[in-house]
Amino acid sequence: MAGKSGRSIKAEEKLTAKKLLFTWEGALILLFIAVNIFNMSISQSYTFANVLREMPKYLAEMFMVLPMAYILVLGDIDISVGSIVCLTGTLTCYISNAGAPFPVVILGCLGTGLLCGAFNGFITTSFPELPSMITTLGSQIIFRGIAEISLGGGGSVSYTNTKQIMPLSTKLGKTVPVIILVVMLAAVIFTVVLQRTTFGRSLYAIGSNKVSAFYAGVDVKRCRFIAYVLMGFMAGMCGLFLTAYTYGANTTTGQGFEMEVIAMCVFGGIASTGGKGTLVGGIIAGLIITLLRIALGQANVNSQMILVIVGALLIIAVLIPGIKGRFDELKKLRAAA
Amino acid sequence: MENRSLFKKITGSREALLTFVLLVLGIFITVLNPTFFSPVNIGQIFRNNALTMIMALGMLCVMLTAGIDISITSTLAFAGMSIGMLTKYNIVNNTFLLFLIAMVIGCFCGMLNGLIISKGKVAPIICTMGFMYIWRGMAYVVGNSQFASGEDVREFAEFGKDGTIGPYIILIVCYALFFWMLKWTKFGRKIYAVGSNAEAARISGINVDNTLISVYTMMGTLAGLAGALSVSIYASAQPNMQYGREMDVIAACVIGGVSMSGGRGSVAGTFLGALIISIIAKALPLINVPSIAQNTVKGVIILFVVIFNVITQRMVDRQNLERREM
Repeated sequence: MAGKSGRSIKAEEKLTAKKLLFTWEGALILLFIAVNIFNMSISQSYTFANVLREMPKYLAEMFMVLPMAYILVLGDIDISVGSIVCLTGTLTCYISNAGAPFPVVILGCLGTGLLCGAFNGFITTSFPELPSMITTLGSQIIFRGIAEISLGGGGSVSYTNTKQIMPLSTKLGKTVPVIILVVMLAAVIFTVVLQRTTFGRSLYAIGSNKVSAFYAGVDVKRCRFIAYVLMGFMAGMCGLFLTAYTYGANTTTGQGFEMEVIAMCVFGGIASTGGKGTLVGGIIAGLIITLLRIALGQANVNSQMILVIVGALLIIAVLIPGIKGRFDELKKLRAAA
Repeated sequence: MENRSLFKKITGSREALLTFVLLVLGIFITVLNPTFFSPVNIGQIFRNNALTMIMALGMLCVMLTAGIDISITSTLAFAGMSIGMLTKYNIVNNTFLLFLIAMVIGCFCGMLNGLIISKGKVAPIICTMGFMYIWRGMAYVVGNSQFASGEDVREFAEFGKDGTIGPYIILIVCYALFFWMLKWTKFGRKIYAVGSNAEAARISGINVDNTLISVYTMMGTLAGLAGALSVSIYASAQPNMQYGREMDVIAACVIGGVSMSGGRGSVAGTFLGALIISIIAKALPLINVPSIAQNTVKGVIILFVVIFNVITQRMVDRQNLERREM
């Protein structure tokens, strides 16, 4: 790290195996292995091929973990994403049913998501006094409301031209679903951008201290706006793939997604207060929760019990740093005495 | 000079502004549909939204300490399902006892929230999100894929049946109690102190952790009460009851001028905010807005009110600045 001037803010520490273990990501990798062993022990059908087959159903949410990490790193929150999924899913069906060709359908879907995100970004950046929780609460109700209006009295729509959207839910070489490849590509791009570019570093700067980031020349407004637009775009992506697997949308599509996505991020060590955590953690945490759901589902644990388990995991995960902090304090006190 | 002070008085008082919005809304709706302003309708508004109104009180206290609680409707469902099952299988049939059990369950749920948030130093939204899943799941587990229908809770539903005054009394008692507590008790002032500046409150001898725990416990107790009330009013107990309605409660508080960063908000404002949300839900069908458009209108009004508030605040600030420069 030390440049020509010989100064460095922080000496680069060598990453040893032991240190890696004590980072949150290292712990998550261990947990990931543990969960897989646990899964294999409770479910006979927990094999690689089966998991690969069942995973796509859950993977659509993974799209939203990536930009949600950006927003949480900023110290913001976006609780409107579930509604954006609902709105984009609904419009995708309508556009296709009106006879539009496939590229137009995709563009319409992603464009809607982008617009929703831009709306969120515009409101949050124009009125920075308002907490993003409130502004996105308003847009959450509005987006789902618009979907409800377009769905009309029936409350649901189905994708009639199912052959058209098939390509999104097929498997390449009959084994690897397309969605897995797209998620992986998106994950790599989002991780590199967050961890290795100026934009990514500015997100951390804003999340750590908005005012000092502003005085250090970071365009706070622009960064926040971009993060929200990305969020909307990826929510549109989620809506698209969800439609590809469910062939339709209704008024409850995507309900509760926002909390699930935020839970995955927080479980992955991304603090909701901003400036902390890496996307790698978020992705591993998302995978852990997804795999756990698959295995518990295979073992016929009812979905409500899975809710309880996920909730308990989340609370334990957020409690650990606090407990560790207490121990460190005790250690320091003892050393002083 | 005269003008400015009047302007400041009006914009300075959030409650006055809300009353004004409420009046405009009321007059607008009454003009379009005169049947709106009838005692039956007004009574219905309060009865149908008693849950939101009661929980808004707890949310007010939580938000005064700069926290948030999104687990309330799950707590409500857990408490409601528990007493629904108790009365379904004729284990407990006494109305008062059932209310008490629901409140004790809610109290326990809230206390867990408070303990983890204060002692574990966990962000309130994350902690309550975890419990949102847990209690909702527990509501299903308690129900064991059963639910209590109107027939099962007949005796209990007598309390909240259409035309009885039970829900109104609970509503009035709760509001009176919280108004008194926040305004005139030491504990109420402690809540404001913790929300305005937790560090300063700690140094001046306030036990911040205990205050937080009591606030979340109160929230949980109210959610439990609302759970019992919900079973009584709607004469059914289902594990998915009031799913997603915690946002209504938060919206009511925010419209009522409760600041999310803590320390600002009042019982009167919360009441007006909850009333505005309730009236929107009740009145839109009356003035021929189709029910499918209800959510959109609600969302637009929420955004409009909070943005309007920001803009007036900016105007006031600018005026103050100008005066100082003179």
